[in-house]
Formats: sequence, structure tokens, C-alpha cells
Amino acid sequence: MDKATPLVADLLEFIAMDGCTDAQFDQMALRLFAHQFAANAPFQSFCRLRGITARHVKTWSDIPAVPIDAFKALPLRCEPPAATDRIFMTSGTTRGGSTRGQHFHPLLDVYDLSMARNFARRFMRGSAKRMPMGILFPDEVAMPNSSLAHYLDLAKSAFGTAASQTFVTPQGMDLDGLWAALEAAERSGEPYALLGASFSFVHVIDALRAQGRSFRLPPGSRILDTGGYKGQSRELPLDAFYSELSQALGVARTDCINMYGMTELSTQFYDDGNAAVPSVKSGPHWIRSRLVDPVTGRTVPAGERGILVHCDLANFNSVTTILTEDVCLPAEGGFLLLGRAEGVEAKGCSLAVEEFVRATAA
Amino acid sequence: MTSRPHRIQAGYLPGLPAAEVDWQVLSFAQRSESLEVAVPVLSAAQMDALAARVRGASALHLKTMAVSDIIAVIDQAIARLLDRSDPYRQQAEAYLPVVSGYDREMVRLGLTGFFKTFRAAQLHRFVAEDFANPKLLDGFQPTPKGGAVRAFGPDLLVHNWAGNVPALALWSMVCGLLVKAGNIGKLPSAEPLFAGWFARLLAEVHPPIADCFAVVWWRGAGEDGASGGASALYAQADTVLAYGGNEALDAIRRRLPVTTRFLPHGHKLGFGVVSASALDAHKAPTLARLAAWDVMRYDQQGCYSPHVFYVQRGGVVSPRAFADHLAGELANLHRRFPRRPLSVEDSAAVARWQQAVEWKALSSPSGQEAADQLIGAPSAAWSVAYSDTPQPLAPTATQRTIQVVAVDALDDVVPLVAPHSRFLQTAGVAAAPAELFRLAGLLGAVGVTRISAIGAMSAPEAGWHHDGRFNLLDLVRMTEIEQSAELAAEPFAPYAD
Repeated sequence: MDKATPLVADLLEFIAMDGCTDAQFDQMALRLFAHQFAANAPFQSFCRLRGITARHVKTWSDIPAVPIDAFKALPLRCEPPAATDRIFMTSGTTRGGSTRGQHFHPLLDVYDLSMARNFARRFMRGSAKRMPMGILFPDEVAMPNSSLAHYLDLAKSAFGTAASQTFVTPQGMDLDGLWAALEAAERSGEPYALLGASFSFVHVIDALRAQGRSFRLPPGSRILDTGGYKGQSRELPLDAFYSELSQALGVARTDCINMYGMTELSTQFYDDGNAAVPSVKSGPHWIRSRLVDPVTGRTVPAGERGILVHCDLANFNSVTTILTEDVCLPAEGGFLLLGRAEGVEAKGCSLAVEEFVRATAA
Repeated sequence: MTSRPHRIQAGYLPGLPAAEVDWQVLSFAQRSESLEVAVPVLSAAQMDALAARVRGASALHLKTMAVSDIIAVIDQAIARLLDRSDPYRQQAEAYLPVVSGYDREMVRLGLTGFFKTFRAAQLHRFVAEDFANPKLLDGFQPTPKGGAVRAFGPDLLVHNWAGNVPALALWSMVCGLLVKAGNIGKLPSAEPLFAGWFARLLAEVHPPIADCFAVVWWRGAGEDGASGGASALYAQADTVLAYGGNEALDAIRRRLPVTTRFLPHGHKLGFGVVSASALDAHKAPTLARLAAWDVMRYDQQGCYSPHVFYVQRGGVVSPRAFADHLAGELANLHRRFPRRPLSVEDSAAVARWQQAVEWKALSSPSGQEAADQLIGAPSAAWSVAYSDTPQPLAPTATQRTIQVVAVDALDDVVPLVAPHSRFLQTAGVAAAPAELFRLAGLLGAVGVTRISAIGAMSAPEAGWHHDGRFNLLDLVRMTEIEQSAELAAEPFAPYAD
């Protein structure tokens, strides 16, 4: 498969557009559904189980949403496996499970264009000027199966200046190197961008506090955090996280941007800063989301909490439409993430799955 | 319906004016009804005073009553709770469905069945289960080895209740009363009503004991409370009875002085076993109906609720056909007793469980697909997952989600449940008498403490040994007069020669 394949070529063109109509979105979604229904056998079985064939799908929201756990159960892909495939894997940290979900990418052109188009608008804010970047996550040589490592490497190579650096290796974080880069940024007055996992930022906050120091990065500097704490750092409420982050690095909360992404997707969501939390997340024209009752799969009534379903047209090789475990409220222009639908406390005295998993993993 | 929700003041605080207490409001809304429950949050000083009052009153008024008189008082209170025209019963029927979310009719039936186990005859049996001679609780009784013995209950028994199963606090509160303890209980946030009502009802039925118990509340494990009421109470308790998940129980245990007796009841995982001998064309459908009742009652939230039914092959009705019968009965029961409306989180848990079953079936080798599956539409208010291969015991998502597993022999069940011995409690068994006793021996050896008929799993009988423990004996301390003392006393009698 290469990018000249008609489906891929059309998709690249679709992503490159400045926007799309509902009809254009549906047309591409239905074309991808037909392709995936035909070429992805487990997906076809799943659709048949739901009594759905191509005839039933009239609009993107008719496409059956595949639960993210399915990425762990079996390979969800259209193209046959090839040695050149890039495989992104979930971290496997949630719910103590040892199996990791796998997302197969026979080529990364679509993923990369999706990332770059969206990043340019939402993080670079349309500016063509490269920024010096500090990356607080291992690179993709160290973590070839991490979609986040690839994403951050791409951010650095496509939008960072030559002075950009990665400060995290699987062995740990180079704090001295980071302090030096931040001091240089303070001296130069040139806006600096710091990007990485949310838990890495907690380590930075804690290290700065322990040393009794802080930075005042130049105006225009920005921070991008993503992915939550994943048990890798202390957990702190969102509001405390952004106020401590802002104080430690001297970057206004409106310039602290959170990216919401998933290994199972090829497109990311961003907010426009975190002056108030939770902030509204939104995506580009090639991804659409709705909130559902996960048992019925039906869209919840307007204004009610639901679980997020995404239809990501950049997911051409797996399935476009996935059912997440994220509880959300609808908001003007996007959605508010309220947290993961896990850790449901037992209502009675019957053992709940979460406690059982924790107990048996211990 | 925009009117202000009805507000109820919960708890029971003898000697403490409501105006002097902080009240926290818990809001409940189910279907079209809403309710606010104000629960009392005490300061350390208030808690100290309350504990002293309860301790003192029970020494004066409860410890001086004979057990049979205490039983008579409880019996009068229970008679009122069984009377559907009594205001206490009416408020229980009106408000417990709103706080718990369970279907009204399910709650009504559940309460009646539950209260019946606390009538006088059942309570006498309850005491006799633990004390061959119940008079031990009233005074010294001669022992066969010589000398005499008497059982003393705690001066201050603290209960930490949990969960939304209506009226569950009754078990431990009655146990405390039977051993004449001063009782202070902490309301569960999910059902903060019944314990306080029962305390008020007891005080009404027999005013002299009105100060022998109290019902309070604090948030979570009580560690964040600025008032420190929880810590004050724990410091004074001589025995603590607690319900909840193991992590919550551990948090409580770590707060107690080493000399405090701690009696934890953790969350449990129930299952059923059906022998081929029970699966003929007549008996199997009836059995499936009974099994469905056990699944339906309180939407599987009880510690005794089944998660898995292991069904033996070789009967006239196959395990797969039994699963179909079970599914049909669950569909019927949903019409009579609808499942509680699910929150987004509950719904996500149910969906995750269902989808795991579906994807496992889709990813299994071809041919297996037809064998393992989810029976019924995923959007139905119940789900039966069938597996043709042995599956270890594991919790389902509850909310009427049940796993049926085919096994070749009843003994095959033992290794499937044995790894989870610390979570075992109830097993429902349908088997011929010889099989029942044989299987009971094997299941008992791996940790099962209660074997009931299928259909009775969710209704433990009066005097059961909760989690295999002695409900009353565990609460008391024995004081013995040894024979030497008795003999040595003789020469000191005024009439000694």
C-alpha cells in the first residue's frame, strides 16, 4: 500500500481541505465504512452481530462503534500484515491488564498529515515560525510502539527549531539539561515550547519545588501536556496541576494546552488553554464525536453526560468509529472530559470488577 | 415537577439537639422523584458526649434486660415494620426506592422477606445458634467442667455500614442489641435512612432504651473531617463491625487501637452450581426461574448475589438451553421488577463486560463462535453470557449480568473458584442429596461459607453465620468463674461451719 492508493490519496486531499460539509464528511465516512466492512473480517462479524450491513449506514453516526478493548482482543486492520507496518500500542497501564491494544499503520502519511495540519492550527496557532522545543517524553527510537513518542518527534522535526531537544530517556529525565534550556530561553526572550506527558510535568513541578526555584519563560511560550498521570506521578486535580505548572514555569494558563489523544485514533483533540477547567476539547473537520449510552449505543439527549464515540476518518486501516471509556458533557464547540468511566465503586456488597482486578493483580 | 425536593432528617442523636449539629445534605434523584437527606456531622466533642451517653445508658437499661425481653422489644418493632399500614413501613416503602434506585415492588418484597427473619421466633433461634444456653447473656451459668461462665457484650459497639441494599444495617444492629451493647452506627451514604428510622422506632416501642444507640454520618473513611468525629468515636469503641471493600476496611483497621476488636465484612463473589440431576425437562425451567430471582434481587448488589452459574452437561436440558431459560426468566422479571436506571458509569461497566464477551467470541477459532455468546440484545436490561469452556470465577458487571458456564463434572467447579477463596461466601447448589454433601465438602474446603438453594441465595436464613463467623459470639467476651474460686468461696460463707 502506498499513498497513491485512491482511498489514501483522497483521504490526504480531504484532510488538506480547510473544512468540509456534513455531506462531504458522511460521504468519506461511508466510503471508509464500506472498505473496512469488506476488508476487516472481525469488524464485519461485529457489525453483523449488531445486525448492521452497508445498507443500514446512511450517516457517520450509524457506523457501529468498536469498543477500545477490541484493539486488545484481536487485530483490527484492513491491510495484511507487512514488515514495514508501524504498530502503536496502548500503555496497558489501565485496569492492570497485561494485554496491550494494537493499532496497525501500513503507512504513516495520513497520521502525519492529520497531526501536522491540526497541530499547526491549534498549538502553533497558525504561525509559520518554528519554536525551540523541549520534549518531556522518550523519542520514537526508544519507544517505537508509542504513538505519543511519534507524535512528539513529529512536532519537534516539523515545528521545532534546530535547538529543540528531548530531555527524557527510558532511564529518566535530564533535569540539568532542561534547566539549562529553560535558562537559555529566559535569557534569549524567544518563546519556548515545552511538550510532554502530564506526569513528566508533575516531576518537573516537584523537582523545581524541591530546589526552591522557578522559571519565567518569555511571553508567547507554550506548554502542551497529554495523557494524564497513569500512576507515574502523584495525582493532582486539574486546577491544581495548571496553577502549579503556570507558577513553576511562568507560562499563563491560557497558554497551557492539553492534547487529548488515543492510540486507537489517528487524530488529536485540543483545548484553547486551561484558564478554567475542565476546558472544552475540539478536533478538526475530519473527526466527529457524539456522546452515547454505551449499552444501547444511542446518542444521549442533549445536555446529558455520555460516553464519547469518535468517528476519525484518518483511521483508514483499522476502524473509523470507536467507543471510548471517557465520560463527557457536551459543550459549545466541543466536549468537556469528566474522566474515565472506571473505578465504579460497588453500590452494594457484591464484589466489583475493579476491586477484583486490583486484588488479583496484587 | 419543579417543586423543591422533599427533605428528610436522617440519623438518630439521643440527647443532642438537632440545632447544635452540622447537617450535610445528600441529594437523590431517580426517575421523576427526588429527595434530599440531611445527615448529621458531629464534632469530636459532640461525638465524645454521644458515646458517653450511649455507653452509660446501655449499662443502665440494656445490660439489665434479659435477652428474651430484648427480643420482645425487637419483635414489636419488626411487627410494625411488617405492617403495611404503619407509618414507619410506609416511609420505608416510599423513600428507600428513591435513595437506592431499586424498583418499588422489589423493595417492598425484599423488605417483607428480610423483616420476617427478625421476628421473635427467628431471633430466639438466632441466639440459640451461637449460645447453646442463651441465659449466658443474662447471668453466670454452670459449665460442664465445673465453675460458671457469663457472656458480656461490648460497652460501645461501632458499626460502619456500606452500600445501597435497603435496611442492611438491621443485621448488625440487632446483633448488637442481642448482646446488650451500646451501639453507634455510621450511615452509608448510599442508603442513609433505614438505620435512623429503626433507632427511632425502637425508642418509641420501649422508651427506656432510647439512649442506648445512636446513628451518625461522616464523609468517606472520615479522615478528611475537620471535626474529627470519626476519630473520636473509633478511639472509644471496644468493638468495630465494618462493611465495605477491602481497601476501605484496611483504612478503618489502621485507625483502630490494637486492643479494639475489628470484625470486617468485605465484598463477596457469589456463584451457583447446577447438577445434571436437576436438569430434566420439568425441573430445569423452574430452576432457571429461581436462579433469575437470585440475579434480579437488588440487581446483584448483595454479597450473596450470583455472578456465575456453573451448569453440568449430561442432563436432559443442556447448559446452553439452561442459559436460554435463564435469559427468558430475566426478561420476564424485568417486566415485573424493572432494573434500576443506570448511571453513565454503570452503563459503561455493563457495556464493557458485554463487549468483552462479544469480542472474545469473535476472536475465538471458527466453530467456537456459535458456542460462546451473549444471549439477548445488548440493550436489554439483563444479559446472559454463555461459555462452553471452563471459566474461572470472576465478577460480572452486576445489574443483572450473569455468566453461565458449562462443566463436565461438578468437581470441575472447585479449581475454578478456589483461587478466590478470600472473596467466597455464598454458593447456590441444585443437586441430589449425596452430590450436595459431597460438593459442599469440597466448596467449604476452598472457602465457601454458605450453601443455599438456588432461589434462596439472596435471602439468608435467620441465624446464618455471616462470612462463616459467629455473629453474636464474635461480639462478646466470656467471663469465667473457675471451679477453684467457687470452692474457695465456700469457707467464707457466713453459714460456713
